[in-house]
Amino acid sequence: MENPYIPYPVSIDAITIENDAKDLKTFKLTFDREEDLKAFTYMPGQFAEMSVFGKGESPFGIASSPTEEGYLLFTVKRTGTVTKELHNSEPGRKIGVRGPLGNTFPWDRMVGKNIVIVSGGFAFTTLRSAITYMLCKEQRSKFGSITTVYGARDPGELMYKDILKSWEANTNIDLTLTVDRAPDNGWHGRVGLVPNVLKEVNPSSENSIALVCGPPIMIRFTIPVLLELGFNKDDIIISLENRMKCGIGKCGRCNVGSKYVCIDGPVFTYAELEHLPAEY
Amino acid sequence: MAQGVIKKEDLYRLLSTAAGKKKVYAPIDGVGGIEFAEIHEQKEITLDYSNSKLSPKSIFFPQREVLCTFADDALEEVQTPKEALIVFGIRPCDALSLTYLDKVFSDSAGRFKDPYYLKRRENAVIISLACKEPRATCFCTSVGGSPSGKEGADILVYELADKLLFESCSDRGQDFMKTASVLFKQAEEDHKTAAKEQAEKAKDGMPVLNLNGLKERVDKVFEDPLWDEITRNCLGCGACTYLCPTCHCFDITDEENRKGEGYRIRTWDSCQYPLFTLHASGHNPRVNKKQRMRQRIMHKYSYTVDNYGDIFCVGCGRCILYCPVNLDIRDMLNTLNKL
Ligand SMILES: Cc1cc2nc3c(=O)[nH]c(=O)nc-3n(C[C@H](O)[C@H](O)[C@H](O)COP(=O)(O)OP(=O)(O)OC[C@H]3O[C@@H](n4cnc5c(N)ncnc54)[C@H](O)[C@@H]3O)c2cc1C
Ligand code: SF4
Ligand code: SF4
Ligand code: FES
Repeated sequence: MENPYIPYPVSIDAITIENDAKDLKTFKLTFDREEDLKAFTYMPGQFAEMSVFGKGESPFGIASSPTEEGYLLFTVKRTGTVTKELHNSEPGRKIGVRGPLGNTFPWDRMVGKNIVIVSGGFAFTTLRSAITYMLCKEQRSKFGSITTVYGARDPGELMYKDILKSWEANTNIDLTLTVDRAPDNGWHGRVGLVPNVLKEVNPSSENSIALVCGPPIMIRFTIPVLLELGFNKDDIIISLENRMKCGIGKCGRCNVGSKYVCIDGPVFTYAELEHLPAEY
Repeated sequence: MAQGVIKKEDLYRLLSTAAGKKKVYAPIDGVGGIEFAEIHEQKEITLDYSNSKLSPKSIFFPQREVLCTFADDALEEVQTPKEALIVFGIRPCDALSLTYLDKVFSDSAGRFKDPYYLKRRENAVIISLACKEPRATCFCTSVGGSPSGKEGADILVYELADKLLFESCSDRGQDFMKTASVLFKQAEEDHKTAAKEQAEKAKDGMPVLNLNGLKERVDKVFEDPLWDEITRNCLGCGACTYLCPTCHCFDITDEENRKGEGYRIRTWDSCQYPLFTLHASGHNPRVNKKQRMRQRIMHKYSYTVDNYGDIFCVGCGRCILYCPVNLDIRDMLNTLNKL
């Protein structure tokens, strides 16, 4: 019997610091065994449990895209035991990855649609995966326009700066960056909270699906804007991040009503969430 | 169905004969009350109990369990439990609860099977003991059970004056009885009549809780202020959830010694604690005890009905008996159902 609690052995191949506060780092992981790499097939929207032996495991959205072959990326904010230990690690360290877990963005339904992406803070990880996936040569023609609003507290907190730069120059995606506070100099993006900037960008809801990832408060204020823009409740896609342990629907902590975020989610439509208690 | 009768004093002889290499668990009069333990002789077994203090779920889902070990940064799997068990004396409510835990740990979609729990279950024979005199806190008949319920049991045993009447209720139970067939006397008509009468009496004496329409009701009144009122006295100690035979929540943590050797362990956890759902950001979807008790009740009487088709309460009454502030789940359900 396969044991769903046992992680694959992986190695940290590279570590990138993502923000000025230096509490966000991206970990590039490679599988120690070829067969595990093959077994780990995923789609953007899914997550995995990363473990540091002796410290514990925690769930993280998969930031790489399946089109980036041979490795996985996770961007981790330093908060507690596991994340601190990861931040104190050097390349070469052996850790574990368990997954892929959870459902994916609704890729079947997204084909042929205009995609609107709304994100704030470090929840942008799985959207990095989704955008990278859609922008790759084989996939791009399957989707309509890609409009993205991504915000952070200040410019130094925006992640994936090199990629953002390349996306800004890429006519296949319309990227709007925003920060909460106006910096002193050199900022050419917008200033304002994500929901307000989304209103200004005013993407059409015609034949469109919106993907929303961010802190609970941002999600709360973004939904009314999308509804006002004319999005159907079914076409507003939200990714939740309830606290998790097992990731496989058994330990009981991640539920929202009768749904477990780890197996029924993390991706839900607003139409689904509307009927569930607001316990997220 | 196989039937047979033994003298009470021959119980251990029977169990050990049929057990072969299996371990035998039975109720003993332990330090803190009645508990299930591995036994090696007749005099350890007690039949004088209404139910054990802790539920027998811990035999299959121990409070602490090693999931894997590691030395420095290399992980090692542990053997999933191989031992085969015979568990005698589980009450019908607790036997039923095992069928609920089975659903959680096996996952009907078959995606994620829990090898630790399932291995123990696969190799176990459950011999449950019908209730003669339910406690005042019992309400199994209101939640789909019965003092002589067979669900979850391989064999159901009736306690008669100085004898025990065995009745198999699964192939495994029948095989068990066959292995020890020489020790059984034939069940006479008066044995069967006595068992039947006893079962009827136990059932009839049980107070009935009207839970009709409860699920629809609690789904509708999720935001009602009454939840504050009915949960006001709760201490949030979590005793009710640890004692409950159907509660299955757990935590997974790592422990490490100075040499860098460690264990990944799972331990029982409880929805009654604020840390259970605390996000790393500090945000908590269930910040107060009203929300947490509501979760406990919704989980048992609504969410599991959606997910598994069953109310995850077997009416064992442990949460009522041992709550330090006498919070009675029957009262809470009654109040909610009348809203
Ligand atoms: C589906 C999903 C996807 C996610 N994706 C990402 C991602 O891409 N990137 C990312 O960075 N994060 C992500 N998260 C969040 C991430 O899982 C958490 O940040 C991580 O679990 C923290 O683990 P930790 O061991 O470092 O923190 P813990 O040690 O568990 O602590 C978390 C927080 O709780 C506090 N805390 C811990 N114990 C106590 C206590 N006893 N009393 C009081 N406070 C306490 C700590 O101070 C800390 O702030 C995701 C979560 C989910 C569910
Ligand atoms: S045992 Fe009683 S006081 Fe403790 S958490 Fe349960 S209901 Fe509350
Ligand atoms: S909720 Fe209470 S009465 Fe119901 S099974 Fe659990 S402990 Fe027993
Ligand atoms: S994380 Fe354990 S049930 Fe979802």
